[in-house]
Amino acid sequence: MADKQISKTAPKKGKWTRRAFIGAGVVAGGALVVGVAVRPGNPIDRLSPMLAKGDGEQLINAWVKIDADNIVTAIIPHVEMGQGIFTSLAQMLADELDADWSKVKILEAPADAKYVSHDIGREFLAPSLEVPAILEPTVGGTFLQLATAMNLQITGGSFSIRGTGQRAMRVAGAAAKEMLLAAAAEEWNVPAGELRAENSMILHDKSSKSAPFADFAAAAAEQGLPNKPKLKSPKDYKLMGKAIARTDIPEKSNGTALFGIDADLPGMKYAAVKAAPVVGATVESMNADTAKTMPGVLQILNMGNFIAVVADGYWQAEQALGTIEAKYSKTEGDTLDQDALFKRYATMLDEAGDKDGDVETEEGDVGEAFASAATKVEAEYKVPFLAHATMEPMNCTAWVRDGKCDVWSGHQAPLMARKAAADTLGIDMDDVTYHNAYLGGGFGRRSENDAIIMATRIAKAAKYPVKMIWSREEDTMQDHYRPSATSRFQGGLDKDGKAVSWSNIHTHLFDPQEAPTVPYYNIANHKIRKIDVPTHLRFGPWRSVDHSQHGFFIESFVDEMAHAAGKDGYAFRRELLAGSARHLAVLDKAAEMSGWDKPLPEGHGRGIAFVPSFGTIIAEVAEVDMTGKKPKVKKIFVAADPGFAVNPDGFAAQMESSIAYGLTATLFGEISVKDGAVQQSNFHDYPILRINEMPDVAVEIINGDHKRLGGAGEPGLPPLAPAVTNAIFAATGNRVRELPLSKVDFA
Amino acid sequence: MKVVFRASALVLVTTLAACGSDPAPEPTEQIVVREPGADVSDDAAPEPAGEATDSLVAAGKSAFNTCIACHVLEKGGANRIGPNLYGIIGQAAGSADGFKYSDAMASSGITWTKEELDSYLANPAAKVPGTTMMAGAISDGSRREAIIAYIEDASAN
Repeated sequence: MADKQISKTAPKKGKWTRRAFIGAGVVAGGALVVGVAVRPGNPIDRLSPMLAKGDGEQLINAWVKIDADNIVTAIIPHVEMGQGIFTSLAQMLADELDADWSKVKILEAPADAKYVSHDIGREFLAPSLEVPAILEPTVGGTFLQLATAMNLQITGGSFSIRGTGQRAMRVAGAAAKEMLLAAAAEEWNVPAGELRAENSMILHDKSSKSAPFADFAAAAAEQGLPNKPKLKSPKDYKLMGKAIARTDIPEKSNGTALFGIDADLPGMKYAAVKAAPVVGATVESMNADTAKTMPGVLQILNMGNFIAVVADGYWQAEQALGTIEAKYSKTEGDTLDQDALFKRYATMLDEAGDKDGDVETEEGDVGEAFASAATKVEAEYKVPFLAHATMEPMNCTAWVRDGKCDVWSGHQAPLMARKAAADTLGIDMDDVTYHNAYLGGGFGRRSENDAIIMATRIAKAAKYPVKMIWSREEDTMQDHYRPSATSRFQGGLDKDGKAVSWSNIHTHLFDPQEAPTVPYYNIANHKIRKIDVPTHLRFGPWRSVDHSQHGFFIESFVDEMAHAAGKDGYAFRRELLAGSARHLAVLDKAAEMSGWDKPLPEGHGRGIAFVPSFGTIIAEVAEVDMTGKKPKVKKIFVAADPGFAVNPDGFAAQMESSIAYGLTATLFGEISVKDGAVQQSNFHDYPILRINEMPDVAVEIINGDHKRLGGAGEPGLPPLAPAVTNAIFAATGNRVRELPLSKVDFA
Repeated sequence: MKVVFRASALVLVTTLAACGSDPAPEPTEQIVVREPGADVSDDAAPEPAGEATDSLVAAGKSAFNTCIACHVLEKGGANRIGPNLYGIIGQAAGSADGFKYSDAMASSGITWTKEELDSYLANPAAKVPGTTMMAGAISDGSRREAIIAYIEDASAN
């Protein structure tokens, strides 16, 4: 059975692919490679059956494989969702290893606990944790245990480079190099110190001897794992800092790249699904009389919280599903409308008043400072729910048989997906093989397990492989949304227009914890509070998570304070950042790029916004043309300090895509609720930015601290909305306090 | 600055433990209309009834979908990226009116019998080195046979 499966699930193209390797894991159980030596701490004996089964393939450590042709394979414990992470992480590993880039291949790590990214646990659970170096291993170990328990093998939090790259890929590359050098030193009987590595070769200059890495791969794997391999300093970087072309571009350009939705199995059938429109409701009854008679239909399932139709083809399943009439249970959410929800926020914020709510951060005495301020500024801002709208709709393929299960999808946390499937079936995780593919957009949506659970349940009922695909309507209406939120501010200025107090209370706090805070701004008295307003809708991380709303709230209010102080938004922020050289350098660079002081034509305006997030400091200036009926965003200037940009082209691409994604939300993004159900359903009422609406984007990168790297995937987004609305204010005097802009009448 | 962090780690772990490994519920209603393979083969959707009587021609019509990006197959139809294929069987290669053939094709000397078409479709670049037909290498002999049958049938109408 297993043999049959592997032959059938192997990819159709002849060359080596990630899918082939992941598929190979399925039959790994029978082909244990026995290690010839004890390798303390080195897990390769356990991993080799999954990763290095071919002739002449040798794992050096968990992240590096070298084969007989001297191909170095970087094993990447993160998923590729268009952010280019495979290339950047391989760059980091290959640079430390001194590998020849033209001979580097990339494998996505299997959904295995060994590849759990424990640093992300630290990042999410205790972001500001500072511990002495001596305690680092203990702390890291604790988080590894925690992360393993939580099954985080997650790609998110703009974390891969700064966490896994810095702490795992570089270390693994450097360690593998030291192991190769040690093996060569033994073989050639020379001191290891006389050897060096270059372009996947070991060189002994004294004797002019040289040999490829491959010659020493097997012996290197027997070497002890170096405790503290020496990492390069930036002057020795050969690959890091270079705009190396992404390895996934050719297959994504010529159509051979395989995404989760491309899963194809012999005998596979298709499922279309429809969940109860109000989350939490169940399907009380369904009338499938017509659906039963329709061509291709195999099964019609009432799964409790959703209906599924399984058919020979997806179109047939979708057509049959459309004929089913269902009755849903009543829920408390049924009566909720969007206006009422914002009213509920307002009422609860009113009730919290000046004192109640959870204090997130407090310093000084805001009450006193605000009462005695020369100028008082107050404002309230609102943002709507947002859907992720990934181009590849949610989908998952599952096959349950003989007490085991195979699952194919694109998921941001493959190990979590594997556990979700196991829990759904009530079987052991070891009996679930999870196959991850490229993600056609993630943005946080694909860190949820709902699609995995649904597909696994359908496959269990069907007993043959089933590919479940959500329609665009389901994808839009059954998302885990970025929360809608309201935020209120009070700010005080002294007689010189200096900010002396900052008070904020807002609804919701999800993640990161520091999103509502402004520790980088010098304001002596501040207090930030939140209140929770439960609703029946599901929340989920959305690109930049809470920074997406708080970036808009905070930077709008800073601009209002600047205006009240009679100061320019750039000059006012310079005062607030006084003494923080790295922050100022970024702010100044954005202003300089935009020609901040140069006059603009009548009806045009510039706005600036500054948001450090995910370890990266970013300022953006927007230039907006308000001479028409609608705002036209002409240019965006981005200055960013991520510490060190490992792949500057990839980093700039993340800024550009953050702007495309953020401008979509700023201009049109709105999910609203009526009678408890989401009103929007497809791109006609949840539009995406079109190419003619895309502004010119200029990006400049400041490498401010090569030891403390920041993220790339998310931090470009939060400053975008406030830069645009501040520019609208500069052009028109019209202050936008609620997004999206499509709701605002500028006539 | 004082930042108050919630014990979110604890909460998450507890949540995970709580969702334990109780299997998800079975379907509340399961209507099995048909088991797979009972009456429809896996790889071919049923042809629309009444449209084609001859199954080989019908299969060829379906397979010809690959070709229609570049070729039309109708009397008097315009040449597109590739020449109109109406009536091609029995014609000399390079003879469709107004189509700019590659030199290789124009001077190939081939007359398109069914057999010649079959060997060309199997590997166009090998049969006529220098042809500008980029697509069309069809390795499946039964698909080639079907396509040729469809071309012949369509040209007879």
